[in-house]
Amino acid sequence: MRHDSLDRYSRLRSPVHRLSAALKLAMALALVVTVVLLPPDRPVLLGAVAVFLLAVAGLSRIPWRFLALRLILLEPFVLGVAIMALFQPGGWRLFLFLVAKCTLGLLTMVLLSNTTPFSDLLRVLKAARVPALLVTTLSLMYRYLFVLVDETQRMKRARVSRTFAPRRARAWHTLATVVSHLFIRTSERAERIYGAMCARGWK
Amino acid sequence: MNAAIEVRDLHYRYGEGTPALRGVSFSVAEGECVGLIGPNGAGKSTLLLHLNGLLPESWEGARSVFVGGNPVQPDTLLEVRRKVGLLFQDPNDQLFCPTVFEDVAFGPEQFGLSEAEIRKRVAQALAEAGLTGFEARAPHHLSVGEKRRVCLAGVLACDPSILVLDEPTSSLDPQGRRELKELLRQIPITKLIATHDLELVVELCSRVVVLDAGAVVAEGPTVKLLSDEDLMLRHHLERPHILRHLHPH
Amino acid sequence: MHIPDGFLDSKTAAATGVLAATGLSVALRQARLRLPSRRVPLLGLAAAFVFAAQMINFPVAGGTSGHLIGGVLVAVLLGPSPTVIVLSAVLIVQCLMFADGGLSALGANILNMGVLGAVGGWAIYSAVSRMVKGLFGCVLAAAFAAWCSTVLASIACAGELAVSRTVGWSVVLPAMAGIHILIGVGEGLITALVLVAIARARPELLRPEAAVESRRSYGAVLIYGGLIVLALALFASPFASSWPDGLDKTAEILGFGGKATDPLFPAPLLDYEMPGIHWSVLSTSVAGGVGMIVVFALAWLLARVLVPKDNRLDAAGPRRVP
Repeated sequence: MRHDSLDRYSRLRSPVHRLSAALKLAMALALVVTVVLLPPDRPVLLGAVAVFLLAVAGLSRIPWRFLALRLILLEPFVLGVAIMALFQPGGWRLFLFLVAKCTLGLLTMVLLSNTTPFSDLLRVLKAARVPALLVTTLSLMYRYLFVLVDETQRMKRARVSRTFAPRRARAWHTLATVVSHLFIRTSERAERIYGAMCARGWK
Repeated sequence: MNAAIEVRDLHYRYGEGTPALRGVSFSVAEGECVGLIGPNGAGKSTLLLHLNGLLPESWEGARSVFVGGNPVQPDTLLEVRRKVGLLFQDPNDQLFCPTVFEDVAFGPEQFGLSEAEIRKRVAQALAEAGLTGFEARAPHHLSVGEKRRVCLAGVLACDPSILVLDEPTSSLDPQGRRELKELLRQIPITKLIATHDLELVVELCSRVVVLDAGAVVAEGPTVKLLSDEDLMLRHHLERPHILRHLHPH
Repeated sequence: MHIPDGFLDSKTAAATGVLAATGLSVALRQARLRLPSRRVPLLGLAAAFVFAAQMINFPVAGGTSGHLIGGVLVAVLLGPSPTVIVLSAVLIVQCLMFADGGLSALGANILNMGVLGAVGGWAIYSAVSRMVKGLFGCVLAAAFAAWCSTVLASIACAGELAVSRTVGWSVVLPAMAGIHILIGVGEGLITALVLVAIARARPELLRPEAAVESRRSYGAVLIYGGLIVLALALFASPFASSWPDGLDKTAEILGFGGKATDPLFPAPLLDYEMPGIHWSVLSTSVAGGVGMIVVFALAWLLARVLVPKDNRLDAAGPRRVP
């Protein structure tokens, strides 16, 4: 399942994985701020950040192919917006600069998410006094998104296999039904989870 | 000597209409392992939810459920939930934390134990469930059997005196089933097991309660009741294969 | 519409961050005060639902496909404050786990899609469904509000990109708003279809009692309204006034945005015009107004098609506003 595979590398063993989640989050934040503040007329700085990130990527033992695929998947929006920069005078320079900047930002976040289990990041948020309701929501979302994505795919497959000549209108109707059932099952599950939480003493 | 669980004339209906439980009465003695069997829709799960106060939604009228002699009611809920460990049918509903450790620690945390005590309880519970080393694992990477054992560990970490289990062997492969059965056999506390797995009932439970359409239709020693082919078929069950060899008809 | 890192400059990232944090704090506070504890897990599960639902492809012409964004759908089902929390959680997880949306842009994304999109959309939904009763009114209002929320969020996004001097306003607005006017139609359509399907299967989920928030949160409404107005003023009005200069001055006073970043292109570019297109406040407003009326009419037609004349779909009776 696609997203299960995206969580595949967060628990590898490498010097980068071993660093504390708080440190990695702080580093990611620092790198992102750096990327935001990069001036367009000093490509050297851009290069320095790139080298640093590539070194971290190498140390992390995440397969290069995987990293490349993740970046490619995320590039379209970057390109879509950066293309608008071509409409200005000096547009090409600007376009390349934007794409480079954003790609570095993407690489930072891809590395963060693939070297740090989300549950560790949640613990950092909790320690940082993020409101409990938000942390609980994030925690439950993380726990159940794989479950719901699985359910969705199963429902879609079941529906699609009963459709013989899908016209587009019919397809929309079918998919909307899948979404509605997903919501209904989700709210029923939420009730059961509430019961399970109470059963172990939650108030 | 108070019964571990006592249910007296329990009635329950869902919203307006369908009565789900019609005057259910039975008891479970300290240390006993009792099986609760019956067809789908008999009300087994609904009954179990009354044992730790998750049902009813409103509490008018006389109390019908007693744990260790004390009534289950709004002001005793927390204590009841510590004593009665309920294992839900779908482990995905009960395993709701991002890691195994956090989930098993959930109960002890809610009951206000210290960090050190929590760590100790979690380690102990995981060991009892045969899951040492699973602390950092994420639930979506576990098999159904492993998830179920994590849920069991989570319940055991609360140090209950009674275990109530809803279909503990459903969706398990034969090995998973065997492992769970052995686990349950080794836990000496009072147990009430609602299940379709009649072989499990024969192997673990000394007594059964048969529930059909919200009422108790039979109660007695396991082998005697489950060998009664007529009784079993009348309530959409059957005589388990184990007993066909023991008691040829 | 998830803005990645690198498109927003530091002052925009900071400003949107502050606005988003304010909106989220208000939402959390509202939920803490008013959300019954049996609904707490629903927030997390609803966030997982939004994530899973967004992965479903709705086929459009020629191999492309549309996706539900879900802001107004969730707002109709849960109420505005829970929706802000739910969408923020979705955006945070998408950012931290899937690198979808930048860390520095998290504030902007939450502001655009959570506060402007969902709360703004809910406000429109609320108003319209108050005027047109029944399930018909609910579906009409939701479809229209979903379109509005998509376009509103895209305008804010365009504004943020323009104020960051990443792209020129006269390029980014037509592009973003143009695309999202079309995407919004899909969003409205899917939202309507899903609501009708839910009404058919579980009408009680659409009743007021199912909404997790009561009416009397005027304080919260005021703050949300204030945030929306402020956001639009900061990021959507540059073409009509000299706000960006004001924002720049403020940023310089506060100590960032001035020296560390050279503007990506000199100031006059903000007035750069696409050849042949001349934006003026009046013509844009008229075009916008006409567009909204057209979409409203389309939403009306859609609701008419989906909901039978006697509102019989919802056996439990006509829908009331939460």
